[in-house]
Amino acid sequence: MIILEATGIKKRFGGVIALSNGNLKCQKGKITGLLGANGSGKSTISKIITGVYSADAGEIKYEGRIVKYKNPNEARKDGIAMVFQNLSLVADLTVWQNIVLGAEEKNGLFLNDESAKELSKEIIDQLLPSLDINKKVYELNPGEMQIVEIAKAISNRPKLLILDEPTAALEQEQVKSLFNYMRKLAAEGVAMIFTSHRMWEVMEICDDVTIFRNGMDVATMDFSKECKDPEKIISYISGDTKKAKVEKSRKVLTDETVLSIKDLNYGKYLKNISFELRKGEILGIGGLAGQGQNELMLALAGNYHGVRCIAEVKGKRVKLNKPANAIRNNILLVPGDRQQEGLFLKHSVYTNMIFPKMALKHQPLFIPRKKYREECEQIIKTLSIKTHSIDTIVNTLSGGNQQKVVVGKWLSFDTNVLLLADPAKGVDIGAKRDLYDYIVRQVREKNMSVILYASDNEELIEYCDRILIMYEGQIVATLEGDDINEDTIVAASMRVRDFGGEHVG
Amino acid sequence: MNKTVKAQSNINFKKLISKPEFSSLLILIIMFVITAILQTNFFEIKSIIRNINAFAPLILLSMGQAVVIISGGLDLSAGAALSLFTCVLTTIMKKNDPTTGIYALLITIVVALLVGVINGIGIGYLRIPPVIVTFATSYIWLGISLFLRPTPGGEAVDWFKAFYDVGAVKGMPEFIKAIGGVIPPALVLVLIGCAFWFVISKTRTGRHIYAVGGNSDSAYASGINTAKIQMIACIINSIFILLAALFFVGQNQSGDARMGDPMTLKAIAAAVVGGVALAGGRGSVYFGLVGALILSFVNKIIFFANIPNAYQTLVGGVIVIVAIAGSQAYTLYNKRAMLKESK
Repeated sequence: MIILEATGIKKRFGGVIALSNGNLKCQKGKITGLLGANGSGKSTISKIITGVYSADAGEIKYEGRIVKYKNPNEARKDGIAMVFQNLSLVADLTVWQNIVLGAEEKNGLFLNDESAKELSKEIIDQLLPSLDINKKVYELNPGEMQIVEIAKAISNRPKLLILDEPTAALEQEQVKSLFNYMRKLAAEGVAMIFTSHRMWEVMEICDDVTIFRNGMDVATMDFSKECKDPEKIISYISGDTKKAKVEKSRKVLTDETVLSIKDLNYGKYLKNISFELRKGEILGIGGLAGQGQNELMLALAGNYHGVRCIAEVKGKRVKLNKPANAIRNNILLVPGDRQQEGLFLKHSVYTNMIFPKMALKHQPLFIPRKKYREECEQIIKTLSIKTHSIDTIVNTLSGGNQQKVVVGKWLSFDTNVLLLADPAKGVDIGAKRDLYDYIVRQVREKNMSVILYASDNEELIEYCDRILIMYEGQIVATLEGDDINEDTIVAASMRVRDFGGEHVG
Repeated sequence: MNKTVKAQSNINFKKLISKPEFSSLLILIIMFVITAILQTNFFEIKSIIRNINAFAPLILLSMGQAVVIISGGLDLSAGAALSLFTCVLTTIMKKNDPTTGIYALLITIVVALLVGVINGIGIGYLRIPPVIVTFATSYIWLGISLFLRPTPGGEAVDWFKAFYDVGAVKGMPEFIKAIGGVIPPALVLVLIGCAFWFVISKTRTGRHIYAVGGNSDSAYASGINTAKIQMIACIINSIFILLAALFFVGQNQSGDARMGDPMTLKAIAAAVVGGVALAGGRGSVYFGLVGALILSFVNKIIFFANIPNAYQTLVGGVIVIVAIAGSQAYTLYNKRAMLKESK
């Protein structure tokens, strides 16, 4: 039974057309996969269905009648709930306060906190039993926040649940318990729309998929009739039927050490971390989510004042107590959270690109505008950033293109060590390939060294010369050569097998 | 078993003292002790009542301000609104006709609601930055006040004195006068303010004020009418200001278009000293009270410490900065200590 049918949806933001002709159907008790590259319009159509945006044209039929929601609250009253990609939690409230936020039950005049806590506990217990519902949200890690976000959407007992990349921040275990819960909801008759960039998840959980490209739906596949063929789906997503797999060309590494870290410690987050980074090497950091990888990257970039370690850059002792020190020794960080750390969202692409140059010590008195603009155009071309012009406000670009700006702004520098903290998080396959190709080319040409943290093991396998696996703030394994494959990474991350870990225990 | 309970309470205690609110309480206690030492008759009932009368208006204003700041706003028109209310009250009241007092009260309540609504429309619905909206409205309130009361003055009915000193009202029953001699009306006004916020804080609106101030986009996406919440916060603030206006008219029996001017920034400072984050979403309205007490004690200390007149303002500013910096350092120290422990 069809519960929702969106036809001919159009939407534009300023000069950018987000949706030119969006069509989507959902059925009761079925999980519909919504696939597409970043900027293909899948987030936009989800937000139009839930009333966050209003459509410029087209109609949405829900439970047999045409609806046009002005805000998320109206949609929610009708039983449509959405799990947001950019988290919609209030950090200063507790977990249970967030779960019932906007839908608090009253006991006469006052709030009924007891029933709210019970409801929250009941849902959280099925998704992540170890989570304390009385914690404030700012104390949680990204995976836990995502779980709270999902719990919040479920707490409204929706008839249609839209999950916009809910798994991006989750660990494998959490994804599994989420899928179990989704199956249970489907059995109860809840229709779901599920988006993800991870193909195996779509294969596992979805009953049918709709694929978006360039603002319109290009294909719909019903898995009960057609076989699950990931290659076919990928070809729809990229619009490219050729399989373009980059052959990994390993370079013979020199012995020259660029960065050496000994006994790095930071509170409970990082313990006794030692490693050496060679020239021209791409060193991967892997492991389960939230084992200190992000903290390690930030520590190396000098973001933690209290960090203790012996650090040498090209044989010279350096202090990593503030970002300026790291930058002056040409250790540059491309942060993972582009919205918060990487970009000035309300400034233009050009301003964002030249900002790092302003931090250099030797700057001409007046900004060489023409030269910088040309450089900026060049970077946009090489990274194939989709933007109207270099004066477009960064906020109006799609997620993948924003991330390209973050990477692009550092790459014109002479770099000793480039730190990449999950640069392709939430970036679609095409943009991801552009990004990494560019990075690898830079590495090979300029002979710089890269430390890459990626939450997706495939990225590590494809691009890294050596991989360090982290567990609870320590390096538990170092993988090299033939050891670099999905199997060993997972085994080492879960500590099923030991791989010459330097500081186990 | 007993040991775990003890360990648990130990952790709770540590959590408590590491809260930023705790440091403002600490400062308050220090200021209280210093004042008590300097002022020889500090604990006499008369000087206690005098102190309460002196502190109450700022307490009320800073609690109201705290509500607005927590909702993500800021009210620069609070002082002007205070003046406006005193002017409206004293213009409507006729000294010889007690019933005019009731009319004046009702009309001023309507004016207070309007003041809140207008600020709320600007901040919430028109999405003009709160500083700009309330800066502009402060001149509107001042303009109306000057129109009503070009010079300080006006008259008030006799029973309005009850908001300041019950004993001064003619024909008041003796037992009420006796109670008024122990519990001053100013204290009652503050308690009414506290009770008012206590009720609000237990409602949906109270929770939503924190949500909107903490992250208005998230709150909106959760289905909260953020504009309405910001407007309600402004109205709540207006009610706190009205309570302060009642006190002043009771005390002075007159209105003054410029009396509230210096109170605005003091009230904001008091809320911040009380640990209310200017960014919104964090802090407690009751600690607006604590902040106001701290600032008031600072004034008293300067007065009793025989600091020459010329330096009093300067010293006051320095003490406030030192106190806030101290509390920041204290919070930071606690964070570090907790980090070390967990290691």
